[in-house]
Amino acid sequence: MAQAFITMAQAVDGPGARARAGDLAAFEALMRQHERLVLVTALRLLGNMEDAKDVSQEVFLRLYRNLDRVEAANNYQAWLYRVTVNLCHDIGRKRRPSVAVEDVPELVSGADDPHQSLTGAERQRVLQMSLRALSAKEREALVLRDLEGLSTEEVARALGSSEATVRSQISKARVKMRDFVERYFRRRV
Amino acid sequence: MNCVAWEERIALYAGGDLAPAEAQAVEGHVAECSGCQLLLSGLRESLALVREAHAEPVEAAHFAAVRARVLAKLDGAPTRRWRFAWMGALAAAVVVLAVVPWPQRELRMAVPMPNAPAAPAVARTVLPSHPNPVEQAAAPPMVVKLLTDDPNVVIYWITDTKGE
Repeated sequence: MAQAFITMAQAVDGPGARARAGDLAAFEALMRQHERLVLVTALRLLGNMEDAKDVSQEVFLRLYRNLDRVEAANNYQAWLYRVTVNLCHDIGRKRRPSVAVEDVPELVSGADDPHQSLTGAERQRVLQMSLRALSAKEREALVLRDLEGLSTEEVARALGSSEATVRSQISKARVKMRDFVERYFRRRV
Repeated sequence: MNCVAWEERIALYAGGDLAPAEAQAVEGHVAECSGCQLLLSGLRESLALVREAHAEPVEAAHFAAVRARVLAKLDGAPTRRWRFAWMGALAAAVVVLAVVPWPQRELRMAVPMPNAPAAPAVARTVLPSHPNPVEQAAAPPMVVKLLTDDPNVVIYWITDTKGE
């Protein structure tokens, strides 16, 4: 009950309602609230910051145009994930094919263990390169499930797939990612 | 069942995506299979690595740049409030059109005579030849004032009884 009152109060007085009335400062507050979700998800899916910024900009412009509908549904996150993934999918399809794990060159790393001696930059490099080893659908499923922490059901809704399909994509993606990491650190099973 | 068939379930198990009964079956197999133990530890290790990398903060300047670009686009566009204000004004204008009486007009249909050649069936609008001067003088132009949300913008709708 208390949650319902909070939701109603937000609908009337929250940044969403004020943004709907044309208050740009309120819309900026909404962006701040959700910007990490959008930009970082786009960055993981696309692999470069400039494209991720372009997608983020478009996502927020679409949010502004659809504020009534999104606020009525009262689920910003689901809407933002779905639109971000769709826009990244469109851009990614035009720009960059996936790279097979076998085709990823072995990289010389000074570390024997992924958890030791890795700089932040190197961790980012391993993450982005391992994501490139996945197909677009596998990448989307893994980013939403394992990195963003959505449930399988939420991932399926965001991707417009069945839960069974998502589970299959996630398991394949995890195995490919593990293969990449093994290869990166030259540790073959 | 060979180990390839276990791979998908072990991968799901590594991320906590199996129901308790399935998870128990995987644990049973892994306990007896060194190859699958290596697979599971590799899966857990790579998952931990990418999650750690993903959690690292992104420079605030990137977020600020996106916000600035979005706000710049929105600042130049008509605001949502204005869009609705114009829709309200348009609706008011429609109401006015429906309410204001149309000028008195006499409509006569051309009726063909029995022996006369058939005239084209066209309706003709005939204005009264001698309009009542008293009535004409007594009808000043009608002015409708439409208020918008912005006090600086007022829309006037001006008409007269002749419909001019």
